[in-house]
Amino acid sequence: MAEARYLYCIVEGNEEITLGNIGIEGSSVYTIPYQDLCAVVHNCLPEPYKSEDKEKVNLWLTTHEKVVDVAWERFGTVLPLGFDTIIKGEEGITPDENMKKWLKDDYENLRQKLGKLKDRAEYGVQISWNPKVIGERLIETNPEIKKLSEEIKSKSKGLAYMYKQKLENLLKKEMEKEADRCFKDFYEQIKRCVEEIKVEKTKKLEEDKQMLMNLSCLLSKEKSKILGEELEKINNMKGFLVRFTGPWPPYSFV
Amino acid sequence: MEPSRDTHATLVDLLDRILDKGLVINVDVIVSVAGIPLIGVNLRAALAGMETMLKYGVMQAWDKKSRAWEREHRKKNVPSLLEGEEIVMKMFGSHYYSKGICNAWRPGYFYLTNKRLILYRQDFDEITFQIPLEEIKALVTREEAHFVKGKKKEALYLIDKQDQVHRFSAVETNQLKDAIEQNLATSGLSLEESPVLPEFEEGPIDFLTEGEEVTHRGKKVWYLVPASGIQQETWRPGHLYLTNKRLCWWYDFDKKLVFDVPVDRIVSVNTEMRKTSGLDSKKEKTLDVAYRFNSAKTIASFSGGGQIDEWVEALNRIVSGKISEETEACPQCGKPTPAKELLEKGCTNCGWVSPRLKKKMAQAALSAE
Repeated sequence: MAEARYLYCIVEGNEEITLGNIGIEGSSVYTIPYQDLCAVVHNCLPEPYKSEDKEKVNLWLTTHEKVVDVAWERFGTVLPLGFDTIIKGEEGITPDENMKKWLKDDYENLRQKLGKLKDRAEYGVQISWNPKVIGERLIETNPEIKKLSEEIKSKSKGLAYMYKQKLENLLKKEMEKEADRCFKDFYEQIKRCVEEIKVEKTKKLEEDKQMLMNLSCLLSKEKSKILGEELEKINNMKGFLVRFTGPWPPYSFV
Repeated sequence: MEPSRDTHATLVDLLDRILDKGLVINVDVIVSVAGIPLIGVNLRAALAGMETMLKYGVMQAWDKKSRAWEREHRKKNVPSLLEGEEIVMKMFGSHYYSKGICNAWRPGYFYLTNKRLILYRQDFDEITFQIPLEEIKALVTREEAHFVKGKKKEALYLIDKQDQVHRFSAVETNQLKDAIEQNLATSGLSLEESPVLPEFEEGPIDFLTEGEEVTHRGKKVWYLVPASGIQQETWRPGHLYLTNKRLCWWYDFDKKLVFDVPVDRIVSVNTEMRKTSGLDSKKEKTLDVAYRFNSAKTIASFSGGGQIDEWVEALNRIVSGKISEETEACPQCGKPTPAKELLEKGCTNCGWVSPRLKKKMAQAALSAE
């Protein structure tokens, strides 16, 4: 039967070893060395893992991550691959030969990346705010909005409605401005503590939370404390909430 | 603040990373779903299978029907060959087609056989370009700007025996060139050595009148087409030609002359730094040609990157030396020739010489004796 190799990550090293039956669905994980690089793989069929069962998929994904973690701990530096990267064989060529050919062709590039990521880890930083709290603050501090909101009280019902519309529009605009300003400030603040930042798409959260920024940061593990202190400051601001996750293998920086 | 992981809440962050990120392998030996390499697909959806992917409208272009069509058409993936013709090499590439109503790169697969070079579109089972090997005169590769800003790409130019130039691009341009050369060599054919590419793409210059010759031309030049009707004045791309009679601007889209003025009506030539695009505020050097039209002075504006100075020089030669450029028909054969040349040298066509020049030459001959 045709065989293929499920690829977890690339590590530094030249030993041919097995890491045990820790792979997806209990498969045996081992290394394929090429010069001073190793591919961490398990044997599989040349077809992707797929399932409608969410639980099953989640289990696969967490297993994938666990294998990368084990390799990371053991070899120091990893280039993690995304889920379902499977290298197949071709007529007369084994998957291992294909794998080695790729390692050979991409050798310089992979070495360079490994060098850059040595002793580094990825951390996720997500900052969100409570729009209600921020909005109330803006009404208090922005003179234009404040004036408008006070004028409403003295207007007739119909006029008050028009005024309210106007107020809401203005508030929305000011909120956007404020969000831009916060983004810039926080970005600068975080940039000082990390080596590299990737700005990710923000996500929809619950009703009373709005994500302002979603970052992946690359830094050495020791420096995470400094970043943590900086984030603490932001987290302590009224209406703001910071999520700080990691250390992750450097998925975003390969 | 301490970073956290391994809690239920961080699972989402982890999944995001594993599904959307990680090292990307750019080889064709990785497993794919329905012809799409897995890394190119939204894995989150692919995981749950193609059915769900379609349900959520992911990659709708690849819906069931078009995939069935694709499967059907993948089968006949070889152009029909002549008897005894064998395929030597297949490579993805494209051909720059500039003869139709619009110019475009036409993609397909190059098939190099022992008889022909073919560009084949398998989706439509259509050969969009082909040339017998013995018709190939020369091959030239040239590094050109890629449409991705800052990137360079090797383009392959093929010159045929009719001196027509064809422009190609391929995945491995140099490999394709080597393969063609090798193939020609085995067929006992040879290419012209160190060929020179014509400087300009040969446009259809069919607007020339009799006796008219292009004296100056360049790369793309934009012309400020004057307002007409509800159309505001707009910059349009085309090519400017200076002939011994006229200054003409050829509009690339309509494929016709939109502007032409006899050279003797040109009064003056100026340049100015001006905004030419509504999108950015960068100023560009523009060329203003003033000419007489119905006894009023009119201005035509052109812009075109770094070549404006060349145009100014070419046009100034005409404006300053206008008298000498006035043409006169030869009294004997009727060939239009610059008046000065006709008077001083005679007609190059029939050998007519003016009586005054005849006298002068006779005198010169006498004094030489």
